[in-house]
Amino acid sequence: MRREVHAEWTKLRTVAGPGWLLGALVALTVAAGAVAAAVVPCAAAGCGQDAARISLVGVQLGQAMVALLAVLAICGEYSTGMIRTSLTAMPRRATALAAKAVVVGGLTLAAGTVAVLGSVLAGRLLLPGSGFTPAHGYPPLSLADGPVLRAAVGSVLYLVLISLLSLGLATAVRDSAAAAGVVLGLLYVFPLAVLMVSDEEVRQVLWTISPTNAGLAVQATKDLADLPIGPWAGLGVLAAWAAAALAGSGLLLRLRDA
Amino acid sequence: MEATIEVTGLRKRFGQTQALHGMTFTVLPGRVTGFVGPNGAGKSTTMRVVLGLDAADEGRALVGGRPYQSLRSPLSHVGALLDAAALQPSRTARNHLLWLAHSQGLGARRVDEVIEQVGLTPAARRKAGGYSLGMRQRLGIAAALLGDPPVLMLDEPFNGLDPEGIVWIRGFLRSLAAEGRAVLVSSHLMSELQDTAGHLVAVGRGRVVADTSVADLITTASRDRVTLRTTARAEAMSVLAGADATVTVTERDTLVVSGLAAEHIVRLLGAQGVPFSEVAAHRATLEEAYLDLTRDAVEFRGAAR
Amino acid sequence: MTAVTPYRSGARTGRDGFAQLLRAEWIKLRTVRGWMLGLALAALLIVGLGVLFATGSRSSCMNGPIEVPCPAPLIGPGGVAVEDRFYFVHQPLDGDGSITVRVSSMTGQLRKPDVTPGVRNVVSGVTPWAKAGVMIKQSVRQGTSYAALMVTGSHGVHMQYDFTEDVAGRPGGVSAASPRWLRLTRTGNTITGEESSDGSHWTTVGTVRPAGLAGKVQIGLFAASPGDLTVSPNVMFGAATASRFAEVTAVMDQVGVRGVAAGGAWSRDDIGVTMEPDGVTPHHPGGLTRSGGTFRVTGVGDIAPSAEGMPVERVLAGVLAGLVAMMVVAVMFVTAEYRRGLIRTTLLASPRRGRVLAAKAVVIAAATFAAGLAAVATTVPVGRSILAANGNMLAPVATLTSLRVIVGTAALLAVAAVFALAVGALFRRSAMAVIAVIVAILVPYVLATASILPDEVSRWLLRLTPAAGFAIQQSMPTYAHMTARHAPAEGYFPLPPWVGLAVLCAYAALALALAAYRLRRSDV
Repeated sequence: MRREVHAEWTKLRTVAGPGWLLGALVALTVAAGAVAAAVVPCAAAGCGQDAARISLVGVQLGQAMVALLAVLAICGEYSTGMIRTSLTAMPRRATALAAKAVVVGGLTLAAGTVAVLGSVLAGRLLLPGSGFTPAHGYPPLSLADGPVLRAAVGSVLYLVLISLLSLGLATAVRDSAAAAGVVLGLLYVFPLAVLMVSDEEVRQVLWTISPTNAGLAVQATKDLADLPIGPWAGLGVLAAWAAAALAGSGLLLRLRDA
Repeated sequence: MEATIEVTGLRKRFGQTQALHGMTFTVLPGRVTGFVGPNGAGKSTTMRVVLGLDAADEGRALVGGRPYQSLRSPLSHVGALLDAAALQPSRTARNHLLWLAHSQGLGARRVDEVIEQVGLTPAARRKAGGYSLGMRQRLGIAAALLGDPPVLMLDEPFNGLDPEGIVWIRGFLRSLAAEGRAVLVSSHLMSELQDTAGHLVAVGRGRVVADTSVADLITTASRDRVTLRTTARAEAMSVLAGADATVTVTERDTLVVSGLAAEHIVRLLGAQGVPFSEVAAHRATLEEAYLDLTRDAVEFRGAAR
Repeated sequence: MTAVTPYRSGARTGRDGFAQLLRAEWIKLRTVRGWMLGLALAALLIVGLGVLFATGSRSSCMNGPIEVPCPAPLIGPGGVAVEDRFYFVHQPLDGDGSITVRVSSMTGQLRKPDVTPGVRNVVSGVTPWAKAGVMIKQSVRQGTSYAALMVTGSHGVHMQYDFTEDVAGRPGGVSAASPRWLRLTRTGNTITGEESSDGSHWTTVGTVRPAGLAGKVQIGLFAASPGDLTVSPNVMFGAATASRFAEVTAVMDQVGVRGVAAGGAWSRDDIGVTMEPDGVTPHHPGGLTRSGGTFRVTGVGDIAPSAEGMPVERVLAGVLAGLVAMMVVAVMFVTAEYRRGLIRTTLLASPRRGRVLAAKAVVIAAATFAAGLAAVATTVPVGRSILAANGNMLAPVATLTSLRVIVGTAALLAVAAVFALAVGALFRRSAMAVIAVIVAILVPYVLATASILPDEVSRWLLRLTPAAGFAIQQSMPTYAHMTARHAPAEGYFPLPPWVGLAVLCAYAALALALAAYRLRRSDV
């Protein structure tokens, strides 16, 4: 495994794409979070807003970059045929995929941490200007605050799990355009479809199994009782998606001709 | 036995097409084995099965006595060049070799050695996407040599090489074999393997049609035929027929004689005073020998117009 | 030396027009099985998810303890769904006549979220569109034609008729110190509304001719108050809208009626009042307290267009998924040219590069439009009949609007596909192009409709980004005088349908222009 990870790391660091994508992840996440922190108002005490969630809203945009990183990491090999070189050099295919997952997930972990810390910092600086003041019941955003720390750590893990889910789906789909469509369809269309369901019960169930909705529950620091699923359990749903995608694609990788 | 590729009874079907139809052969160390056959005969598929990329429906393929997927550090057991274009164009050649080296636990020093060995040093830090086909072939060969393996398997390595490159690779392959490696080189052009391969595995329609040494093949194919050019066709024919030779008229002044060596014919005609302008012993090229061999096995043939 | 006759092909030279180019590109699209499957999958997603959504949506209504089919929404004279609930103190009027009142006070109460669970938290206040004043109405039946002049909670004087029409008068509220005089006059079929601050100097607010106000009508005083609308953050979907009970009480005096029968008595009707489960006790009744010439009229409800019922676009839940599939095919249609250098063959065959791109755009637009139109035109009637069969209340929709939603959605898919194709040609890398177009079209839509962003920011997202194109799907009209949250999250777009689609078209055109520029200028 160590050699495979080393090889995958060399692969990713020797092309320009991943660096740009991770930079874009940080920039988009922090920028969107900063904009949200600057424009979402809290006019009075009891405005009911979730300050942590507002400053972390950029994760919803940043995840597209994570998905692209994962899709390119595997589909780039399929489109050039390099996958055959890779599997010749690393014939234990499940190990090769696991190594890729470690590297992609690790890079996402690093960049995601920077992105989330930047978002929290932006929130801390900008939220008071939008009315999130101690007078309205909002102390400055701080990682020393338990729920905020959980939201921040959870958001980083959310991004990591999105990268693994994307990697798994992309490995199964192989074609980069189709894989990008499938991954982003799951990430963005699923929650919109949930919104359109009128039956309250069905809506709750779909919400609970949607990787984005359930996964982002980890960002909630207010009204937790109103959530159909707890923050960590929600992240668990996403983890289950990622695990299923990776396991399924690992199996497909072993069964299919390269 | 070490350092061999053993392929036994491989069968593989892609949809309607039976790509491999009981492919069986062995590659021995110390010589270059040519793996020839027309397009679509199953050469690449066989190599992919040997490398564990494709799974055969039946049969087995072993490298050094073991299935490829069970090898640890596989590139130090077999080096392979399948498709020279199969690399990410935005990565430099050196970095392409570097990740491969890391996957085998090898270091950057080995990478620079193989780059030197294939003569790519000046271009090693350029993006591989900008390489010419010939440079990519060299890069692919460098990748195959990375683990210094006892077995090498190269699919169409002559493609896109300039004459200088072809000469280089012929010598290179011979020297690799001389070191005791087993070298399997596929090609659909027999002429490319002339002077390189010591042994031939000819395939057609997914199975082996001949497994023979090059010398034997040529001898069989060119079995003493002599071309004779003469203005006295009738006299020459009667003289030669008297000496138990088979004579065929091919043109107005040309005869093809078989069953007699060229020196013998010259002596006979000289003794009888039959005039002739040319006597040529015919030595078959590997190409002709191979065409003889695979005449029935060609799958796609251009229509003459 | 013999002269060589240059070779001339005996074959006839083929035509080399744009039509031939289109045909060539169509063959390219048609002969890749995966792409045709992708388009079929997109159509299937649109129909399948739409039908699934319709099948899963059930509702039933209770009449007391008995389950009954839900009533059809109330339809106004203009064919739109309306709400028609108010307290009406009236007399019959046959022929010309008028009514004049002085409104000197408007007060009311609102229910706020309970502070102590189970204890109603009612405070005094008036909602912005609480209304009281004078009205001429065809009959006391709900949904009939009317014209009314009113003082509102915070929008000043308004003259409204037939639910959808609204004319603003002078702003400002009323009090005992500064009352407002209102007068409605009927002359033939024309109704004139006038207002005054002293009862002697009158200003005309509007002169209207509602279609249904001929013959015998009812003339009188009315009061109504729409619910108190609050939008609060919601942990699941960003925000939730709630409408809570509100009632208004207006004090009106100096009542003068002309044209009615002499000494005619005032009738009272709590129009549209709902009943408690027992079926006889009115729920939140209105009322009248009269002392001499002073009328205190209390009303609940609203006289306005209604947003009730499922709009036609609700069965198009699958369009987003179909959109993704079609955009993926569109991106592949052009990036596949680059992967193995097919583009060189293409450009050898037709060296005018701009035309190649145009042909590709036309072909992908036509293919996605056709597939989309077939799918949407199937989904809408099928989905709506399933919804109706499941007891759901459907919002009425004009045939033209319905047609616009269907054709417009197909056009939306086609334009989005062209946008995707152009971005694909620009980037030449399929994954990047797919993600770029999805981030451009879907992410603003997600953020605008399902996130914590405030409505105004959401509206700007749907004005400025390619997601504006989804406006073409909105079938419900919006009215300024309607008490509703006209926000993206509720399905209301800031731009009119075709303008929204035009924004997406502009993005597609821009991307195409950039792609054409790159294709012309750079080596392939």
